[in-house]
Amino acid sequence: MSAVRHISEAVRSGRTTARRATLHAEELLRRADAKGLNAALDWSPEYLGSEAGRIERAARSTRQALPLAGVPVAVKDNIATLDLPTTCASRILDGYISPFEATAVTRLRAAGAFVACKANMDEFAMGSSTEWSAFGRVQHPDFPDRVPGGSSGGSAALVAAGVTPVALGSETGGSVRQPASFCGVVGVKPTYGRVSRYGLVAFGSSLDCISVFGEKVDDAARVLSVISGHDPHDATSAELPPLSLATPRTDLKGLTIGLPEEFFPADLHPGVKAALDHAIEQAKALGATVRRVSLPHAKYSVPTYYIVNPAEAAANLARFDGVRYGKRDGGSQVDLPGLYRATRGTGFGPEVRRRILVGTYVLSAGYADQYYHKAMKMRTLITRDFTDAFSAGIDLLLTPTTPTPAFKAGDKTEDPVAMYLADIFVAGASLAGLPALSLPVGRSEGLPIGMQLIAPAFAEAKMLAAAAAFEAAIDGRREVR
Amino acid sequence: MTWETVIGLEVHVQLKTRSKMFCGCATSFGDPPNTNVCPVCLALPGALPVPNAEAIRLAALASYALGCTVHATSVFARKHYFYPDLPKGYQISQYDRPLATGGQIEIDSPERGRVRIGITRLHVEEDSGKSVHDRVPGKTAIDLNRAGVPLAEIVSEPDLRSPAEARAYLTAIKQILVAAGVSDCSMEEGSLRVDGNISIRRPGEPLGTKTEVKNVNSFSYIEKALEIERGRQVALLEGGGRVEQVTQLYDSSTNTLRPMRSKEDSKDYRYFPDPDLPPLVLDPIWLAQRKDELPELPDQKRRRLMERYGIPAQDAGVLVGEAALADHFEAVVTAGAEGKLAANWVMTEARTVWNESGGIEVSAPRLAALIALVQGGTVSHQSARKVYTLLRTDPADPKVVAERLGLVQVGDSDQLGHWIDEVLATFPAEVARYKGGEQKLIGFFTGQVMKKSGGKADPKGVGPLLARRLGG
Amino acid sequence: MSIGRDDVLHVARLAELKVAEHEVAPLVKQLNGIVDFVAQLAAADVPVDTPEFTVGPVRASLRADVVAPEPLARSAERMAPDWQDGFYVVPRLGHQEIES
Ligand SMILES: [Mg+2]
Ligand SMILES: [Zn+2]
Repeated sequence: MSAVRHISEAVRSGRTTARRATLHAEELLRRADAKGLNAALDWSPEYLGSEAGRIERAARSTRQALPLAGVPVAVKDNIATLDLPTTCASRILDGYISPFEATAVTRLRAAGAFVACKANMDEFAMGSSTEWSAFGRVQHPDFPDRVPGGSSGGSAALVAAGVTPVALGSETGGSVRQPASFCGVVGVKPTYGRVSRYGLVAFGSSLDCISVFGEKVDDAARVLSVISGHDPHDATSAELPPLSLATPRTDLKGLTIGLPEEFFPADLHPGVKAALDHAIEQAKALGATVRRVSLPHAKYSVPTYYIVNPAEAAANLARFDGVRYGKRDGGSQVDLPGLYRATRGTGFGPEVRRRILVGTYVLSAGYADQYYHKAMKMRTLITRDFTDAFSAGIDLLLTPTTPTPAFKAGDKTEDPVAMYLADIFVAGASLAGLPALSLPVGRSEGLPIGMQLIAPAFAEAKMLAAAAAFEAAIDGRREVR
Repeated sequence: MTWETVIGLEVHVQLKTRSKMFCGCATSFGDPPNTNVCPVCLALPGALPVPNAEAIRLAALASYALGCTVHATSVFARKHYFYPDLPKGYQISQYDRPLATGGQIEIDSPERGRVRIGITRLHVEEDSGKSVHDRVPGKTAIDLNRAGVPLAEIVSEPDLRSPAEARAYLTAIKQILVAAGVSDCSMEEGSLRVDGNISIRRPGEPLGTKTEVKNVNSFSYIEKALEIERGRQVALLEGGGRVEQVTQLYDSSTNTLRPMRSKEDSKDYRYFPDPDLPPLVLDPIWLAQRKDELPELPDQKRRRLMERYGIPAQDAGVLVGEAALADHFEAVVTAGAEGKLAANWVMTEARTVWNESGGIEVSAPRLAALIALVQGGTVSHQSARKVYTLLRTDPADPKVVAERLGLVQVGDSDQLGHWIDEVLATFPAEVARYKGGEQKLIGFFTGQVMKKSGGKADPKGVGPLLARRLGG
Repeated sequence: MSIGRDDVLHVARLAELKVAEHEVAPLVKQLNGIVDFVAQLAAADVPVDTPEFTVGPVRASLRADVVAPEPLARSAERMAPDWQDGFYVVPRLGHQEIES
């Protein structure tokens, strides 16, 4: 039984209480902090205590069963919460407490869950290793000298370390699937628009999705069903009801699974290859038809992503100007441009500054056609590749989530492009707005390896049901070589 | 050789909505600073814009009123610049796919008569906040109540040929948008703002370098500011210099322009489609309904008044200039007055009252009754004006008021004869001169009789009686 | 090399980011690496009539014109770095810098 189901049923039936759940979370957070994981940012025993009271009152006053009663959730620090700071792991928002709450968080809390802690991340979600946090890097839970992936590395590490059974992260270009793969947990990115972005600090608005980590597929699915559904506060939110929980499958009969050849290069890490080969064998054994397919524009995903994303980021981060909230720098003698430049120049870390500069460059006069507009056309072609494959009878695409397992801290911080290429297999689904997930399918020298499934838009139910079948058939902790 | 002036205007009007363009904050004017604000218009991290349906409806109406084509699909775009009253660091506007394009209106040019002015485009955008420079010593204070208020930006073709024409164009735009119910167009409350582009050239030559005139907050100032800038350009070119692209800020207290220091990069707005907002897609049926929903516009009304009531173009233009007066005029005619007479009364007496109080104080039936008294010879025109003034506060019937004031004309020949006898007795020398052939003195005697009667004598009765007495 | 020192300084000004002198050279190098990498798109064959991608629903859903501001759990004043008499306060703008 999944942890979320276990806890919520226990609280609903009275076998345990919300207060015991918050005390347990407090104990686990203390231990994780003591271990130096650095995955949790803000949390407090007082806040946890008040949440326990709130949940108990809610349980008494509502006739409806709270689907997530007593479930602790780590929430990435770029998702607005009312009682804990929302800093995006940036100096420019150090200590900032949002005066409004993200729709996803409101829905979680209304369902009986509580925010156990805010989770560390790459500053403003820019990074693939959670080394770019202004509050220090997050350790991989099993290998302290390695990275947990990013940018939602704090959320991934907390779930992998067993501190919370589920966590909210955010995806812009793989920031949940990639760390899920590195940490050996489930990471689910819904279709763009399936979950409201209201309260998610915008990074790449056309790409951003609040996404979910879980120990198991069922954990993530339960959280997703609570936070999904139309929100009038987000004009890009799909006018659909919340995702309903599908009956998990135990086989894959009748499904056609596509293996895009561009995602299985000759130089794929041998451990990754071995784990994926095993997963493909299992797919066949479970009754799926497996077919090789081609997504010819996939090779342009990362360059396309690293034009679109910085362009949107540069615009989205213009609001951090030291006028209305957050940190102001420059001293009392400075003029207005001086105030802007000092506030932004010192408030943002190195990767954020790089993205803003690149994004400003690709939109600036004389360059917008060559970079931004060309990338937005390429994005159409990349998306068409996916929809063509799906309309040719493919139900799900299966790929490795990452080209290698978790790398060592410091390996890629000096080389931005090398860091960007860690997202080579995850960027495509983000550009196309498709649902995708990463599932642990084995370990190589102890390092977790993830398999990615990509589904047609709004086919999360099919994707999650299939993932549950894989999960039941494959021991994600098994050493592959 | 003369210079030809070429002017295009960019007009921003506030759309008459209750809430802001992208959030639920009130648009009310004059509230304490920073009280109509929320996560969205403060650009708090995580807040998102959602477009206001009413703003879109009003913008579509405005587009049709200006003869534009409204596009079924248009796109919101981000326009980037840093300014403390622009919370997001970009303005949500529309760029290469505006709501509407290709319109035109007719205006009365003081120099060229009736001319057509092209409307390049109309797009929807949000307003910025307000920077106040004299509130906190040595600092600039920012009020974000206006930030996010919905605006339509209306860009004209460079079809205007003089500053006076620019003013006439603005007047026409205002009349159209007020008639369409789209905007109050109040410059005092900032719901209408104008920027001008101006260049000069020798007739027939290609366009000259244009400059921009900004910060103008009244219709007469835009004319003045453009005059000054035209003069400056003429002097430059005639002195052998050349015009540089510049933005001029108008200072109404000194009636001068001064160039805005432009940062070299300030014009690189880096527009791109706003990824927070899917395209604005409008249903063709809905659009057709908006077109039908348009009330009668000033130009149509002007033609109709001329045709139906036989009044001159000049009069129709004046009446249409204030919708309430045009309505009043029609009501006066409906209540029985003759067209031209009703127009005269409405354009003079009723308009004076309207300008004073903003109301129609003397109802149409009462004005029509008063006009009938004049036409029937019961009161003189002069007396009727006095009666009109009293009718503003006196609910009584116009005839009753006239009688009470003793302003009803006397046509009774006994009474008239009595006054005439007295006058002739007072001026024997003039009577002798008249009889000696100075016929024009008849006017003098008439005037004296009117004076003697206190204005009550009916001039139509006085004339024949006088002639008989003097001739007899 | 597609990006030079002047380009870095130009975009830093547009983006209102202070770049210290000693940071310029490393940024030139890093931005060149990034821009050269993304420039491989230039070689990609994209038919000219390819529409640009739009994300999310095909049309924006609109809100009714109702005054219903989202409440602020903390006041604007409490969040502001500098606030006087109900106003946000910033260094005095030169008159020449005033845009409308
Ligand atoms: Mg504008
Ligand atoms: Zn607001």
